[in-house]
Amino acid sequence: MTLKNTLKATTAAALVLLGTAVYAEGHGATHPVTGEPLAAEQVFTYSTIDEIPSIDPGLVEDVEGSAVVRDLFEGLLNQDPDGNPVPGVATGYEVSEDKMTYTFTLRDNAVWSDGTPVTAGDFVYAWQRAANPETASPYSWYIELMSIENAAAVIAGEKPVTELGVKAIDDKTLEVRITQPLPYFPQMVTHGTTFPVPQHVVEEFGNDWVTPEHFVGNGAYVLTERVLQERLVREKSPTYWDADNVLIDKVVMLIINDSTQALTRWQAGEIDKTAQGLPPGQYPSLVQEYPNEAIAVPSLCSYYYNMNMRDTAPEWAKDVRVRQALSLAIDRDIIVEDVLAAGQFPAYTFTPGATAGFEVPMVEAAGMTQDERNEKAKALLAEAGYGSDNPISLEILYNTSESHKSVAIAVSQMWKQTLGVETTLANMEWQTFLEERGNGNFDVSRAGWCGDYNEASTFLDLMNSSSGYNDAGYNNPEVDALLAESKTLADPSANYTKVEEIIAADVPIIPIYHYTENFMLNDAIKGWPFENVQQTWYSRELYKVAE
Amino acid sequence: MFSRTTADQLAGVANAQAVKGRSLWQDAFRRFIRNRAALISLVLLGFVLVFAFFGQYLSPHEPDFVDFSLRRDIKNLGAPSIENAHFFGLEQEGRDLYTRVVQGTRISILVGVIGSLVAVVVGTLYGAFAGYMGGRIDSVMMRIVDILIAIPFMFVIILLLVVFGRSMVMLFVGVGLISWLDMARIARGQTLTIKNKEFVEAAVATGVKPFTVILRHIVPNLAGIVIVYATLLIPQLIITESFISFLGLGIQEPMTSLGALISAGASQLGFGTPWMIGFPLFFFLITLYAFFFVGDGLRDALDPKDR
Amino acid sequence: MLSFIARRFAVAIPTILILIVVSFVLMFAAPGGPFNAERPLPPQVLANIEAKYGLDQPYWKQIFDYVWNVVVHFDFGPSFKYKDRSVNDIIAQGFPVTLTYGFWSFVVAVIVGVTLGVVAAIRHNTWLDYLAVGISIGAQSLPNFVMAPMLVIVFTLWLGWLPGGGWNGGQLQYLVLPVIALSTSYMASIARITRSSMLEVLNSGFIRTARAKGLSDGRIILRHALKPAMLPVLSYLGPAFVLMVTGSVIVDSYFSTGGIGVYFVNAAFNRDYSVMMGITILMGALTILFNLIVDLLYAWIDPKIRY
Repeated sequence: MTLKNTLKATTAAALVLLGTAVYAEGHGATHPVTGEPLAAEQVFTYSTIDEIPSIDPGLVEDVEGSAVVRDLFEGLLNQDPDGNPVPGVATGYEVSEDKMTYTFTLRDNAVWSDGTPVTAGDFVYAWQRAANPETASPYSWYIELMSIENAAAVIAGEKPVTELGVKAIDDKTLEVRITQPLPYFPQMVTHGTTFPVPQHVVEEFGNDWVTPEHFVGNGAYVLTERVLQERLVREKSPTYWDADNVLIDKVVMLIINDSTQALTRWQAGEIDKTAQGLPPGQYPSLVQEYPNEAIAVPSLCSYYYNMNMRDTAPEWAKDVRVRQALSLAIDRDIIVEDVLAAGQFPAYTFTPGATAGFEVPMVEAAGMTQDERNEKAKALLAEAGYGSDNPISLEILYNTSESHKSVAIAVSQMWKQTLGVETTLANMEWQTFLEERGNGNFDVSRAGWCGDYNEASTFLDLMNSSSGYNDAGYNNPEVDALLAESKTLADPSANYTKVEEIIAADVPIIPIYHYTENFMLNDAIKGWPFENVQQTWYSRELYKVAE
Repeated sequence: MFSRTTADQLAGVANAQAVKGRSLWQDAFRRFIRNRAALISLVLLGFVLVFAFFGQYLSPHEPDFVDFSLRRDIKNLGAPSIENAHFFGLEQEGRDLYTRVVQGTRISILVGVIGSLVAVVVGTLYGAFAGYMGGRIDSVMMRIVDILIAIPFMFVIILLLVVFGRSMVMLFVGVGLISWLDMARIARGQTLTIKNKEFVEAAVATGVKPFTVILRHIVPNLAGIVIVYATLLIPQLIITESFISFLGLGIQEPMTSLGALISAGASQLGFGTPWMIGFPLFFFLITLYAFFFVGDGLRDALDPKDR
Repeated sequence: MLSFIARRFAVAIPTILILIVVSFVLMFAAPGGPFNAERPLPPQVLANIEAKYGLDQPYWKQIFDYVWNVVVHFDFGPSFKYKDRSVNDIIAQGFPVTLTYGFWSFVVAVIVGVTLGVVAAIRHNTWLDYLAVGISIGAQSLPNFVMAPMLVIVFTLWLGWLPGGGWNGGQLQYLVLPVIALSTSYMASIARITRSSMLEVLNSGFIRTARAKGLSDGRIILRHALKPAMLPVLSYLGPAFVLMVTGSVIVDSYFSTGGIGVYFVNAAFNRDYSVMMGITILMGALTILFNLIVDLLYAWIDPKIRY
């Protein structure tokens, strides 16, 4: 109940904040709240590295695709600039006593871009479609992750889609049954996979329904042009229920495969925002040149090296002292300040500090100077019986990419120069890399992990011996027990701290840094949600001021 | 990317050679040294080779050593300098560019030379065999060549490197494989004219086995055309290698090639570190110029029609 | 003539079949699959997807179904990566783009290349000749992944004359930089081939006769020399045209033109089997077609050739 009220309060606040743009005669428009003069052309152009696999909510699987889907469709709830759930198509919801049934009330004025109203049935259809094995959505597991009743059986084809625990009570009331209480369930319905799709259009046109000719959506924008590998254009939808408060008229997404090229075109003024990921090492000079426009904000991602902990690993890798020495000998400050240099955070523990409610534990290595770490690393290695008379030689496996290469080169030289460890580099293209790493054919392998949701367990669960993503092959019953216990605790932070400390001592992985999102953003574009660590942005919240 | 025309132009070389016999080599030598551009290029090529194989002894640095004290600010600290013996400055990872250019030049030349050796050996033997056997064997073998020539080989190389992983050997084999087809056609055509010569017929009459005839009597008579073809193929394979490096399928770090260095340097264009592209590109260009001019010179020298 | 064309088509069919089989084998041998990701899919989800695309079938059946669909329905299947698009969609959208900039690059390369080559040949051994040869070797050697970013820095960032990329339906200002980047190295090859074959023709008997008859230089070149000198150029143009119109990864990735060049490379890396196959087949078919056209043109230019 309290949640429902909070939601309503936020809506009111949002409405007060926005209101309608004021047009003064003879002048350009001004922003309704801040009074900033608005640019005459409200067009936002941004670039992505790669073409989006799909913009169909049922099939969408990547970050950039989700951004497009959030513009073209609207789900039950949206995120505010801080990442909290606020009303979308649903004006609010009620949770049952056992916290396993959610009842959403849909707004009356939500319509599809062809004029038909958005009904609860559209959501039911969309969710059933996402789970349907015939759709074969790569994100069908998300429906299962939401713990919706019968999701697993429906995905496996053992039960018909109609058995999925989602039901339209009437046109404006949607009931969802889940199998366990999930405090972050409202957060989960802000994700594209849960967005409605227009059944009448999908059934008529099949795969072609997401082409500009046939497109029908319920979001603030409609798809008007799509040239694969070149551009995707969406324009303001007049039928969107809150269209009066949408300032950007047209959003153009350009696909620019090369980050340097994207930067050049940004400098030439062709685009307003570059894709996340500036050319490695260029951020410092960019921030000098464009202090307000070179952006780096913390994100929920960790970059680390897996040590091979399997029985098949080389002898030295089984010695914890060697693993500790390797970890200590990496000068994270050089990596984040000189190699990548885009505000990344040196990491001595796994979970990023930006994660909600997570206090980064103070492990010993974090408090030492690099000289002290190097001394200790040398001592540990000597103690383990390795040195110039008995040198270690190892290989770092990473996938082909400019920045992974830079990190691997730096790390290999740190190990060589500090510890005398002979390090060779093996870069493989993506698919081969995944195969080799998954099969444990490596000494040390590069990895990165981004949180699925904003809570520490999305990272630490990887250390569970049964996790499918535990590429290090780490198996520690104590860690498994702590993680299992944390699921039932009201405040699991003590367990998380303990797990981090065990990892720091055991070194199945070597945390190297925590990512930032770094990109160039034209300072005429306002309203970007910098505070949202998952960088969930909506074009309808942006606006362009006159320069 | 591969000029079939070199093949056509070479036909003339071969004809002239077949007619003139041994003394051709002396004539050709005289003609070659009279060709100023080719001679200068030969000297230049000599310098490039000395640089590529002995250049590292001039530098106190190792090609894979990262100088972390300079890495801080490569734009300002990493510029070319005689003082700290980074003659060409540092590349973007903080390693000495001079020693890397030396290594890269060496590897690029090796890829070109070994790749063209693969192409020439396979192509000559295949073509000579088909031409010598004649009849059905010949037409089947040449149809296979026709079919293979229609396959987009650049793409097959990409597939090969993706599928079998990347290694020096794969690179040599890959670049060699795409260029033996033309050589096979030329060698076959030549063999057809040689095979009816008296010395071949004499050998056959005395009961020498076909393979021995091909190796002893036919292949040596293809030498002129093979040398020219191989010389002109080397620069093309070096260019191919640079493209493969651009795709990230080239030589494995920390080893490098000119293509990899140029590709890395090109990604730093406009970032205020022009030496990163400048030095590797310079050596890439002079190597290619030298090979092209020497190749052209050899062709002109071996083909008396063209002055 | 007709039977020649018929024979060529008879070879074309096994060529394409071989191409399909080779690509299939390479793809099945490749590690990884189209649906692997940093975060592996749950087994049930993966099974659903594989069932949808028929990847759970035995290999022979997959190949058979594929060929059947291509031949009978002209359907190249769905893309595995771009899940709401089919290969037909992708080719229908990407190929016209590539064809447009490829065609214009071809036109530019031929006009500039032939002019440069003819001028160099006429002014043989003058500074003009040396300059033309120097420029063309340089242009052939400069990798286009260096040229593309340079063009953008100069024409977009410094001068602000042209957009740095995009296609926008192929308007002229979007076409200029891709065409320059793509045509340069072909232009250079054409110039070099034209020059040397022109030299050969100019030194041949019938031109000397024409000169002796007192015909003007311009008339000799246009009327008598150009046509035979074009023969070697022609045999280069066939494959070059195919390479140009089937796209350039570099042009597509630097200028974001959306052509099929970038699809192929991405498809190879992503294991998007159907897209890779579709483009490979398209390339193979075009190669065969243009080789045929070149042969027919040959017959038209040189009446001595009989098929």
